[in-house]
Amino acid sequence: MTLATLPSPRDEAWRWADLDSLRTAAQTPQQSTGIDPASLFLDLPGPRLTFIDGAFEPAHSRPGAVQLTRLDMNASHPLGALAQGEGWVLKLDARTATDPVQIVHLATGGENHLPARIDLAEDGVATVIESYAGRGWSNRLLHASLGKGARLMRAVRLLQDQGFVSIRDEASIGEAASYVATFLGAGQSGSRIDGFLRCDGVGAFAEMGGALLTRGEQRQECAVAVHHAAPEGTSRQVWRAVAADASTVSLAARAEVARHAQKTDGEQSLRGLLLKRTSTVNLKPELEIFADDVKCAHGATVGELDRRALFYMQSRGIPEAQAKALLTHAFVADALDRIGDEAVGEAFKADADRWLEAAL
Amino acid sequence: MLQINDLHAEIDGKPILKGLTLTVNAGEVHAIMGPNGAGKSTLGYVLGGRPGYEVTGGSVTFAGQDLLDLAPHERAAAGLFLGFQYPVEIPGVSNVQFLRESLNSQRRARDEAPLSGAEFLKLARAQAATLEMDAEMLKRPVNVGFSGGEKKRNEMVQMGILNPRFAILDETDSGLDIDALRIVGDGINRIMRAPDKAVLLITHYQRLLDYVKPDVVHVLADGRIVKTGGPELALELEREGYAQVAA
Repeated sequence: MTLATLPSPRDEAWRWADLDSLRTAAQTPQQSTGIDPASLFLDLPGPRLTFIDGAFEPAHSRPGAVQLTRLDMNASHPLGALAQGEGWVLKLDARTATDPVQIVHLATGGENHLPARIDLAEDGVATVIESYAGRGWSNRLLHASLGKGARLMRAVRLLQDQGFVSIRDEASIGEAASYVATFLGAGQSGSRIDGFLRCDGVGAFAEMGGALLTRGEQRQECAVAVHHAAPEGTSRQVWRAVAADASTVSLAARAEVARHAQKTDGEQSLRGLLLKRTSTVNLKPELEIFADDVKCAHGATVGELDRRALFYMQSRGIPEAQAKALLTHAFVADALDRIGDEAVGEAFKADADRWLEAAL
Repeated sequence: MLQINDLHAEIDGKPILKGLTLTVNAGEVHAIMGPNGAGKSTLGYVLGGRPGYEVTGGSVTFAGQDLLDLAPHERAAAGLFLGFQYPVEIPGVSNVQFLRESLNSQRRARDEAPLSGAEFLKLARAQAATLEMDAEMLKRPVNVGFSGGEKKRNEMVQMGILNPRFAILDETDSGLDIDALRIVGDGINRIMRAPDKAVLLITHYQRLLDYVKPDVVHVLADGRIVKTGGPELALELEREGYAQVAA
């Protein structure tokens, strides 16, 4: 039992975290979910891995280039540090690429922890798609290291019916390498997405963003940071929050630019949409800039659906619920459009649309 | 086709329409003219069902149905089209998506089969072409970055695609230069001049009426129709002003 070591909401970085529902999730007894893990894979070639309660499930897997091994990683993050032991590793040699790697995390209750590593050597190219389903507390730590010119596209969808998912990404991005991670929270569990991306090489590109959709009394949040440690880096943090009913989404994003990281181009866009007056969106954009020749744009807004646009659409024959869904879809599309692979992007948008149908 | 009887409506408790009575028959084009603040746009919004425009008395019958009983999207499916004075920008939703969704929602409501993507595009391109709108604009987000004239032209493209039985066009002529005015006027005639259709043109000025000849002209002042006449009434208004004619 690891609950004794959880962070406290008195700590600024955890002030919006839904640690109560994390505790409750960790204590739910294990019980079959009735979900077929195979149903969570997209129709794509490439390696497939299934983890049930954090344990590798060979019957629903074909790991290909992905290795399963013991990982003891150095992590100071309070939740990330709990994910040690058996995990998965994707290691690509220079100038190699793989078909998309798909990973399904199915949880049946209680708590489960799983570490992972992605090491891409020079000009390595990988796509990793992860899907979370079931119940209980699923906790993950990813360490990624990208060599010169390497590219990682990571897409994560949170579809757990209940419980809690916590994810910690830590990445070191080399010269002209690119790390792009997009998250979709369209389930009914609580969530906490943590990230710390370091642009260590000249001209590195770091992107972490997504859409978190909540309803009922659900709470989801992200707390992510990009650190520009080298010149000419680019970072993008595009997050969209949609909160229905009495739910809460909190977005905290930080960009740090070290003194010598000149010519950094940073962009941060945090936007919230309240579907009900009883819902909450918290936004916390932060910039910490020590270099003097940088371009860092940031925007943070919270609002409701445009009533004039709603009436305009209705006056053309679109029923109200559908008009709301179209406007909300357009609102989150900004963030999901960052997914480079068309099939993956379409699948994520379909998940978002299913959420909209249920929530509106 | 449309019977409005003793209609009273208010916004935020302030009465705007104060006993408006009007009948428009199939095959007719009516123009409603009047000074600022007379209630012209309010009439359009009340007929369209915009939230916040509260009907406090009277009745509106459209093609035998109680119009006020229908939700805005049901009014559209019944064949009503409201052309906006200020068309709304919708970032992130393309014209094609918006219009296909609109048309197919109406078709579903009428138990007609929805159009496929290809069928719809063919229809949309044809309408855009006759209104001299670049087909590329169909792919752009609804009205975003459009000039005032382009927005009005886009309203007419929408009307052409949706092919309504009854159109209420609120100041469709504002923001148009003389060429665009001709194109829009031709569009209204082409789409709406038919024995089974009718138009209510809400306008400030005579100039649109040079292109779309009204059968009946009404003067609206302080929430009521104060004068009704033929096309010559519009010319009289233009010459002598509302104060003179409405007095």
